[in-house]
Amino acid sequence: MDALCRICCIPAELLAKVPGLGPIIRMCCTSVGQKVLMALTGLALCGFLVTHLSGNLLLFAGEEQFNAYAEKLHSMGPLLKMAEVGLLTIFLAHLGLAISTTAMSRRARLKQYAEKESKQEAFAIPNGGASSWMLLTGLGIGAFVLLHLVDLRFELRPDLDYSSATQDGTDKAYATVHLVLSSPVSFVAYGVALILLGIHLSHGIRSALQSLGVSHPRWDKLIEIGSMLFAWAIALGFLCVLGWVALTG
Amino acid sequence: MSSETLNLTLRVWRQNDPDTPGRFEHYQLNGVSTHMSFLEMLDVLNEQLIESGEEPVAFDHDCREGICGTCSLMINGKAHGPDKATTTCQLHMRRFNDGDTVTIEPWRATAFPVVRDLVVDRSAFDRIISVGGYVSVNTGNAPDGNAIPIAGSQQEVAMDAAACIGCGACVAACKNASAMLFVAAKVSQLAILPQGQLERSERVVSMVTQMDDEGFGSCTNTSECEAACPAEISVSNIARLNREYLRASLCGRD
Amino acid sequence: MVRVASETLNSRVPEGPVDQIWDKHRFNMKLVNPANKRKFSVIVVGTGLAGGSAAASLAELGYEVKSFCFQDSPRRAHSIAAQGGINAAKNYPNDGDSIWRLFYDTVKGGDYRAREANVYRLAQVSNNIIDQCVAQGVPFAREYGGTLSNRSFGGAQVSRTFYSRGQTGQQLLLGAYQAMMRQVQLGKVQLYARREMLELIVVDGVARGIIVRNLLTGQLETHTADAVVMCTGGYGNVYYLSTNAKGCNVTAAWRCHKRGAYFANPCYTQIHPTCIPVSGDYQSKLTLMSESLRNDGRVWVPKNKGDSRAPAEIPEEDRDYYLERRYPSFGNLVPRDVASRAAKERCDAGFGVGDTNLAVYLDFRDAINRVGEDAIRKKYGNLFHMYHKITAEDPYKVPMKIFPAVHYTMGGLWVDYHLMSNLPGLFVLGEANFSDHGANRLGASALMQGLSDGYFVLPYTIGDHLATSQLPTVPEDHPACVEALASAKSRIDQLLSVQGTRTVDSFHRDLGQIMWDNCGMARNKAGLESAVGQIQELRDQFWQNVRVLGSGESFNQSLEKAGRVADFLEFGELLATDALHREESCGGHFREEHQTDEGEAKRNDEDFNYVAAWEYHGVGEDSTLHKEPLTFDNVPPATRSYK
Repeated sequence: MDALCRICCIPAELLAKVPGLGPIIRMCCTSVGQKVLMALTGLALCGFLVTHLSGNLLLFAGEEQFNAYAEKLHSMGPLLKMAEVGLLTIFLAHLGLAISTTAMSRRARLKQYAEKESKQEAFAIPNGGASSWMLLTGLGIGAFVLLHLVDLRFELRPDLDYSSATQDGTDKAYATVHLVLSSPVSFVAYGVALILLGIHLSHGIRSALQSLGVSHPRWDKLIEIGSMLFAWAIALGFLCVLGWVALTG
Repeated sequence: MSSETLNLTLRVWRQNDPDTPGRFEHYQLNGVSTHMSFLEMLDVLNEQLIESGEEPVAFDHDCREGICGTCSLMINGKAHGPDKATTTCQLHMRRFNDGDTVTIEPWRATAFPVVRDLVVDRSAFDRIISVGGYVSVNTGNAPDGNAIPIAGSQQEVAMDAAACIGCGACVAACKNASAMLFVAAKVSQLAILPQGQLERSERVVSMVTQMDDEGFGSCTNTSECEAACPAEISVSNIARLNREYLRASLCGRD
Repeated sequence: MVRVASETLNSRVPEGPVDQIWDKHRFNMKLVNPANKRKFSVIVVGTGLAGGSAAASLAELGYEVKSFCFQDSPRRAHSIAAQGGINAAKNYPNDGDSIWRLFYDTVKGGDYRAREANVYRLAQVSNNIIDQCVAQGVPFAREYGGTLSNRSFGGAQVSRTFYSRGQTGQQLLLGAYQAMMRQVQLGKVQLYARREMLELIVVDGVARGIIVRNLLTGQLETHTADAVVMCTGGYGNVYYLSTNAKGCNVTAAWRCHKRGAYFANPCYTQIHPTCIPVSGDYQSKLTLMSESLRNDGRVWVPKNKGDSRAPAEIPEEDRDYYLERRYPSFGNLVPRDVASRAAKERCDAGFGVGDTNLAVYLDFRDAINRVGEDAIRKKYGNLFHMYHKITAEDPYKVPMKIFPAVHYTMGGLWVDYHLMSNLPGLFVLGEANFSDHGANRLGASALMQGLSDGYFVLPYTIGDHLATSQLPTVPEDHPACVEALASAKSRIDQLLSVQGTRTVDSFHRDLGQIMWDNCGMARNKAGLESAVGQIQELRDQFWQNVRVLGSGESFNQSLEKAGRVADFLEFGELLATDALHREESCGGHFREEHQTDEGEAKRNDEDFNYVAAWEYHGVGEDSTLHKEPLTFDNVPPATRSYK
């Protein structure tokens, strides 16, 4: 792990030589800086989730609208490719930072307590201790994203007959979504993953804001409640889509 | 209210020195008055141990009134025991029940190596302060105390942060063994006050760098430190540190 | 009979009007050239307000400083526990304060047993201290408009006390600590934490170094320097129960005494009136409730003996606000010695409250009715919280129960105007010296003195010593170092070799009981004589029967304690001897034989208007008394009256 860190540091050291960038690169190497980057990438991914969800909600509008939206998206060509690459980079960065900060924290306490309890009042623990599960929920979501890409981006699921959702030689997004989600494997996996997403975000958003220094005695409570609502709104939004598609499938 | 005296089983971490592995020892302690402080209970245990020819349990303590920050101890898995806003020395045995088993461990963090039994080395905190936790003003250089007015409310916020006693409970309680609350308290105090403005950027960058070098973990943003803090330092100070750090990294001098 | 030295001590106070001495003297003292300062090294023992501020200031000047403390961090020094505040003659409230008034109040408060010139200097620099601390970022309480806020303390009729909630000592100490840590970073201060000083190295009559024990490893270390500064606090723990931290001890000062430094006025001990009463024999320390509480709290006991009603049920006419009754002009804000004795008088007369009948009420009912609970919480919140923690009673609802406890020691190593002891090169600062408070210290003056000594006095006077002395290098293998090291080692071996049956703490408790019973708030000849005998006997038992387990070569807290208690057992005898010799009542030293008809302290200026500095000749040997006569040209001695 340490060797890996050192290798990763080489480009950083080079970048730090660029005039003006030094402090920023050095920031990215500290625990605080990495939490800032975690926050930024995390919030960017949230932005993507919002767009993704709003697109998905078009499923409720009907087959035509949804297919039109999909075609419009695909017609963007290179722009879409760039967005995909960007998204992937952000995703990988978020993952890499998670591993890096976790490693740092593991090293910070090599010997565990025989007994450890929280001193926070039970109801005050943000979302019942979601923070303890960030890496696991995150990895779970990562696995789901892979499945999701295989299912719908690359259409490579061996147990599905994608041709049934093809019309006139072109994909029909609406039908494909229904095809994929009609598989019980997908339904369960997607459902579980979305709950994980809710848990992840319920700590993640509040945490990201705190890492970015968004805090004020007057607004803290509101920020906390708002973050929680947003997190579960996203998760529930997707769950509704999932449920609806399954019902109408 | 519990009964007047308690019989307790103590499960205490014993470790001879930093390099030998430690273990838990069980001791039976009877007739503990509920009016005793937790440390007085340990005094009684030690008297009992010495009389039976066993070396007493080493633990750090000094003022015994909650201000010096010397006492530590994880008591039943909680830093400074079950009460909020309390140091171990202010904890009283009336909080325990007859027949309880009480587990006592040292702070555990790589940056706080165990010295002996329940004593740990917290000099990392001193080193963090030494790289920037001050206003660089030599003796004799000061203008009149009233030359810089500071709003009462602003002063209060600075004082809230300045109240940190440096005990390390934040590190002990944090699942990442992060020292963010300690560092944030000092950074905040000096960032809020006009006296601290000139060195604001350098201070936060140096202190965070030193904090990482000492081997503390990263902040979890779960506020466990705040719950464990006997001085009730708020995690809003951590947000302020993050802001200060971002500001310094983006706009500070190269 | 006390052996009295024929020569009086020379305090080196320069001639001249008291308000000009310090300014002129600063000019007259020799300076060390800036470039030469780094060639001088100074050892500072202790990192409290005096030690921290001295180490920081000396390093800023350019001296090479080595700083030592027995705690795990310099920030833990017991100055941190000071609650109420720090005095200064700023006169910000426009209520008639001045340097002269602070000087006057302090001399009077000290019952005319302090050195006028020192006190005047203290009052003079008090203002600089506030400025310095503000510049460091110490968050003193402020008014809404942004100016510094003041409150009143005992013994003064003006508001001159600056404060940071009930944590003033903490904030001032952190200021000094941070200033010192800055110098650590700059390489000008070498910090040695968890080191306990065990010996003073004296070369040709000049203090040149110390032997310390590394408490982590048990290793003994030799450190030499051009001057040694002792900032090691007071000896209140000779009483076992006191408001001092558990680690506070007399060892460092006592070792200096045994190497020739005179110990002055050890019988001047301050019993603080407002502490939480003792609750059982397991008790390990007493907790102070700041004097500032007497600004708003009213002290009372029931008028009827054995009134067992709950305090709230005792109506106004059955309450005896005895301080207000006896001292109408100062009321609840009389000086500490007066308030303590008044509490003792009421309890002795059978009016005490609580389980032990050794407590009086400190009641905030009227203040809460007047300004509201929130205002009281803002001023004293942390103190009320602390009280609640310890007693499980809510002082917002039930009056506090308080009783006097040992708090501060005015006596200490003798120093001259330069803060240098009779051993050249040995400077003593803060509570460890005897100089500024006479026989009683006023509230909020200890912080002032510690910082004054460290920030604004020593940096000048040490230069004079360094510039005017021949200081040849002392190598670590110098015979004086070797001898001191061997002496420290043999004492440790001795403690470990007794292998008796009794714990160190049990001896300490017994010593404390002897001291409290016979040398406490009220003393008499018979009691003091018996104390001397009892202490000697206890000391013999200690050396025959103490049990210290473990080894000297490792972290060993029992051994640390044993060494400290062994020194207390020698020191206690000197305290009693001093109290016995001083046939008068003054300040914290109250001899029952010498009181007015109203039970107030009766001084004897004719025979005892001097500082008693004791010279050591050996354990159990009589010490020689050196006298430093006191003159009061500016504040003519009078019977203190707070009526």
